[in-house]
Amino acid sequence: LTYNFSNCDFNKIRVEYDQIIFSDLKKYMNGTKSTQFNYNISCNNPPDCLTEIQRVTFSPTHGCTSLHKEMFAVKTKATLTLQCPGYSGIQINNTQAKKNRKKREVTTNKCLKQASQLLGLWRRFSRIKGN
Amino acid sequence: GESGYAQNGDLEDAESDDYSFSCYSQLEVNGSRHSLTCAFDDLDINSTNLEFQICESLVEVNCLNFNKLQEIYFIETNKFLLIGDSKICVKLGEKSITCKKMNIVNIVKPEAPFDIRVIYREGAKDFVVTFNTSHLQKMYVKNLIHNVAYRPEKDENNWMHVNLSGTKLTLLQRKLQPDAMYEIKVRSIPSTYFEGFWSEWSPSYHFRTPEKNSAGEMG
Amino acid sequence: QGEALQLQIVCFNFETVQVTWNASEYPGTNLTFLYKFSGDEAYDQCPNYTLQRGHTAGCLLEAKDQILYFSISNRTHPLLTRSQWVSDYLKPSSPKDVKFLWHQEAVTVTCSDLSYDGLLYEVQHRSTFDPEWQSKEERTCNVTIEGLDAEKCYCFRARVKATESSYGSDTQPSDWSEVTHWQSGEPRDSCQDNQEPPKPKFPKFILIS
Repeated sequence: LTYNFSNCDFNKIRVEYDQIIFSDLKKYMNGTKSTQFNYNISCNNPPDCLTEIQRVTFSPTHGCTSLHKEMFAVKTKATLTLQCPGYSGIQINNTQAKKNRKKREVTTNKCLKQASQLLGLWRRFSRIKGN
Repeated sequence: GESGYAQNGDLEDAESDDYSFSCYSQLEVNGSRHSLTCAFDDLDINSTNLEFQICESLVEVNCLNFNKLQEIYFIETNKFLLIGDSKICVKLGEKSITCKKMNIVNIVKPEAPFDIRVIYREGAKDFVVTFNTSHLQKMYVKNLIHNVAYRPEKDENNWMHVNLSGTKLTLLQRKLQPDAMYEIKVRSIPSTYFEGFWSEWSPSYHFRTPEKNSAGEMG
Repeated sequence: QGEALQLQIVCFNFETVQVTWNASEYPGTNLTFLYKFSGDEAYDQCPNYTLQRGHTAGCLLEAKDQILYFSISNRTHPLLTRSQWVSDYLKPSSPKDVKFLWHQEAVTVTCSDLSYDGLLYEVQHRSTFDPEWQSKEERTCNVTIEGLDAEKCYCFRARVKATESSYGSDTQPSDWSEVTHWQSGEPRDSCQDNQEPPKPKFPKFILIS
């Protein structure tokens, strides 16, 4: 199930990213050079950015299956649940599919690359003017 | 409130008014660990067998139990989500006597500033006040308003106050009494996104203003 | 691959992007710069090369707040292929229409806000007695500085910085605005001429030999 992020409170999400989530994401990326990874996931407007942020944060990929357990991911889910009407309902259905997920794994390079895409997406989201 | 505790919206207060309580949080007070401190408003309450518990907006756990130190209940943890409200309850065994909804980021009490210094600049006819704060190195509560208070020591209640966001301030010599011993101190309160209470005051610093010379100037 | 090619990227106020490379590794070679702003587009050739000693040493592009995909090649093969957010290398333009509004012992400095967000507007001031500049920043270009002495002459300057949470840590602050001088709320040409000379170091002892 995909969620339409158009009705979220973008300003509040921006502030919570700026004041809370960014610090955790930066801590997770600690030690990596900003040019270490190439970026290839972009977004153009707030709903589009949140759609990509949700996908990259919570969809497991080969080589990185537990990003969603990281502190910044847990907080991303919390802010989307708080600021996006109906989001938590969608999440409950999707969670059924994740039941067999492995425990939090060591930070792999693949996870760092995925997190760097998130940093690019969050930055983009945070500087787009207006609601 | 002045005492540094939040008393906003009670959930279940009808049954146990006298068990009302207040709390404050301190973020990254011990490395990346945060603290939450609560106490009953009525200090004479018999708190034997009473426990505190926090639930919701926690990471990896549903609830956390407080430790008790005399009449203060205290938690130090890195499991605060810092997004969304938590529910803090007074428990008697398994029974919740009273609960309150609180958001950890809205009851922040900063750590007290320190190292306040005053340097007299004769040429500029002023005093440069500087101080330090541990919050400059923090990830979350970085933006504070500082309240500097100063008074002539012999003028007990004549405190003058200046609010600033930086950690450097200039006091003009002509605005101070000549040949007088002054006391100066500073405290802080969160100013952006985070809300809460004044910190404790820093230790005071004492300085003396020059005498007035024949030309009517201090020198 | 590509480490031998030292690269510098600057995005000037989201108007132009300048990519420059250190061609010393490939003397006498005209390196080729191909770029695109979307993963599914075809590469384009650089429209505006910059030269050094007659050979290509950089490319100037129109900027977009997007990921820039680019590849630098010599005659036979690509030397470096990268895709980076242009915003990571932002250098905002320096503040425009800087105005000073004085009230008692404070001044509010304003300027035109830039058209994009995630910035900090920094104003620095110091009197002739201060060895260092003192800074204050705000999210919009409306910065109030208090506790100023009407008797002193002050210098002011302003610039724009990109916040790390919105642009990362590889950005550059804008150039400073022109330094202006003020005393008692009035503009001055400079702060040097009308200041009381600082008292000599040992005013109270006169050596009579």
